Amino acid sequence: MKAIPGISRREALRLLGVVGAGSLLGAALPLKARSLGSARVVVVGGGFGGATAAKYLKRFAPSLDVTLVEPQRRFYTCPFTNLYLGGLRDFESLGHDYRQLTDHYGVTVVHERAEAVDTERKEIRLSGGAALSWDRLVLSPGIDFRWGELEGYDEAAAVKAPHAWKAGPQTMLLRRQLEAMPDGGTFILVAPDNPFRCPPGPYERVSMIAHYLRTEKPRSKILLLDAKDSFSKQGLFMEGWKENYGDLIEWVPRSSDGRVLRVDAGRLEVETEFGEIHRADVLNVVPPQKAGFIAERAGVADETGWVPVNPKTFESTRVPGIYVIGDATQAAPMPKSGFVANTQAKITARAIAADLAGKAPPDPKWANTCYSLIAPGWGITVAGVYDVHDGNLREVPDSGGVSPLGADRSFRAREATYAEAWYAGIAHDTWGTRPGA
Amino acid sequence: MKKAVASVRAWAGRRGALALAALLMAAPASAARSPESWDRIAPARELLGDAKPRAGGIELRLPAVTQDGSSVPLTVRVDHPMEEGNFVEALYLFASGNPSPELAEIRFTPLAGEARIDTRIRLDGSQTVVALARTSRGEWLAGAREVRVTVSGCNSRSAGSVENLMEVRVRAPDRLRAGQTGDVRTLINHPMETGLRADAEGRVIPERIVRTFRVEFEGRTVLEARYYRAMAANPYLLFPVAPERSGTLSFFWKEDAGESVTAEASIRVS
Ligand SMILES: Cc1cc2nc3c(=O)[nH]c(=O)nc-3n(C[C@H](O)[C@H](O)[C@H](O)COP(=O)(O)OP(=O)(O)OC[C@H]3O[C@@H](n4cnc5c(N)ncnc54)[C@H](O)[C@@H]3O)c2cc1C
Repeated sequence: MKAIPGISRREALRLLGVVGAGSLLGAALPLKARSLGSARVVVVGGGFGGATAAKYLKRFAPSLDVTLVEPQRRFYTCPFTNLYLGGLRDFESLGHDYRQLTDHYGVTVVHERAEAVDTERKEIRLSGGAALSWDRLVLSPGIDFRWGELEGYDEAAAVKAPHAWKAGPQTMLLRRQLEAMPDGGTFILVAPDNPFRCPPGPYERVSMIAHYLRTEKPRSKILLLDAKDSFSKQGLFMEGWKENYGDLIEWVPRSSDGRVLRVDAGRLEVETEFGEIHRADVLNVVPPQKAGFIAERAGVADETGWVPVNPKTFESTRVPGIYVIGDATQAAPMPKSGFVANTQAKITARAIAADLAGKAPPDPKWANTCYSLIAPGWGITVAGVYDVHDGNLREVPDSGGVSPLGADRSFRAREATYAEAWYAGIAHDTWGTRPGA
Repeated sequence: MKKAVASVRAWAGRRGALALAALLMAAPASAARSPESWDRIAPARELLGDAKPRAGGIELRLPAVTQDGSSVPLTVRVDHPMEEGNFVEALYLFASGNPSPELAEIRFTPLAGEARIDTRIRLDGSQTVVALARTSRGEWLAGAREVRVTVSGCNSRSAGSVENLMEVRVRAPDRLRAGQTGDVRTLINHPMETGLRADAEGRVIPERIVRTFRVEFEGRTVLEARYYRAMAANPYLLFPVAPERSGTLSFFWKEDAGESVTAEASIRVS
């Protein structure tokens, strides 16, 4: 059995001034799981990975003391923000709170930011100044941007040329800009090189914006400037664009000078590798990315900016006792998706529960499905299953695939309804929330 | 950024500080250097003969893991002077795990200012990419880096056709100070057919490769390259140039099949 170092949970909570519903739950826990002791697990980040991990840690080992650290009181998902941009969803429908996690699952939620990690004392320091100690730490901080790596694109530039690659004010800014754009204007999206959050994301985004423009501003144009020569579900996207939008969307791959090297947000201009200047009426830049900053501060990120992990458990290869999941990790061939973060969270929760009980971690298998909506009633998917083979993560041969090319409209329409169902399902699984509730 | 790092150091425990120090100091190539990697590549052994290359001095940058083996970004930099009588004369690149390991051979002159390139390569599975460099004094340097290639349905590439065959793009720095080094970027639209691929009917598509690429500045050679099938489609090459006066860069590409194409770009030196 593991000792509980440092301050007790109750003390810590008093310190933080967050004594509330969560702190009384210890009494209500079933007794059978007490054998794990009340080891403390701290989870940083209440998005797809973190919220799922916190919930499933409590489900797999109810006596664990689980604290989730997340600055936002309401989390807005990136998934379906493209539908919001296309006018198919209202923004509030993408918001989820933490009430179910605290009230129903017994997770203590602290609405602060983790600022620093002391790996020796096993403590994190919070934005309010207090410290939280852990026996196991889970980080699911998502991404941060490499400001300035793309010349001219920093935080100030994002106020004029939004990224909208984290859901929130940036997403709403982009929508307002689209609404203000004159008919006949040009929307430009700048897509990054691999790896980045949500491989099909930029292509779904231009699809949804094409839907909005075709309906509201039919003389407008979309230019997609890409640092890559190929992209996720490319054939299906190209087919769907042609069928639904004719030649409204122009994709410029890297080999046709699509790679942008400089942004002038003031003029809404971008310059490509071979010197072409493109001017936009609305400019959306998806910048190069890295793991959320806390990964670097915890010493778990490497020189790539992402976090290498032990493939079986997602424990950091650099700092024992710290587990990292979601977009922050180097988990190729798994894509950086919410679906993947959610499955990684469950497997890592199992591995932590097993470890604390002195058992070996289970043999893992992960799954992913990424739905994309090209137009209302026109959905496409890519799916895959992953395991550990010869000590490395791999896609299980012949496990997944993409929707067929040339399928009829009813097939595409069914996939669009599956996408809606997926969203409702994963939100419920992650935050315990129900749409419209 | 600097500040954040400093505060971590103060706050992180010993292990954290060590991990951080390792992170800050890690030279990209040091992680995966296996000094004898060239021994396993026949054409590299042939080149070297009895010569013993010195490990280190060549920095290779590649993603540690990539999901798209058909276009992997590669940067190679040889840390060596580029002055008359003592410069990097040739750089040889090998993909040790490909059916034919030769990747490219690049000859520099001191006009390049630095022996450094950026390109895109094809990797047939996880393997070690190896670089050998020969200096004008006959010394050999070596470097290597491992890369893991994973198959992913999510990023799978549709084997598309190349549009605008033999269309070229070049970009030179438009202004330099005398002695300053600037980057030149070049790209040619070309499928770089390996001769190892079959079409939908199962017929082998014949090999078709852009074989040579040459760059001159006012009639003097800056760089001469020979490409092999491990170069990615649409061969891309970034390299430096350090002219002492204003002038014109001329570019020449030539295919196996004999087709050739040229381009020009001017540089103003002040
Ligand atoms: C436009 C777009 C569309 C997408 N569509 C889909 C889709 O259809 N399907 C799909 O599966 N995926 C989709 N994704 C990808 C998905 O959003 C991410 O893969 C997913 O959010 C990753 O989960 P995560 O837990 O790693 O990070 P996040 O979900 O981003 O969660 C990270 C959380 O950590 C918090 N945090 C960060 N640092 C700290 C700190 N220091 N202290 C405390 N908290 C911290 C943040 O506030 C945030 O709430 C899409 C992404 C985009 C951009």
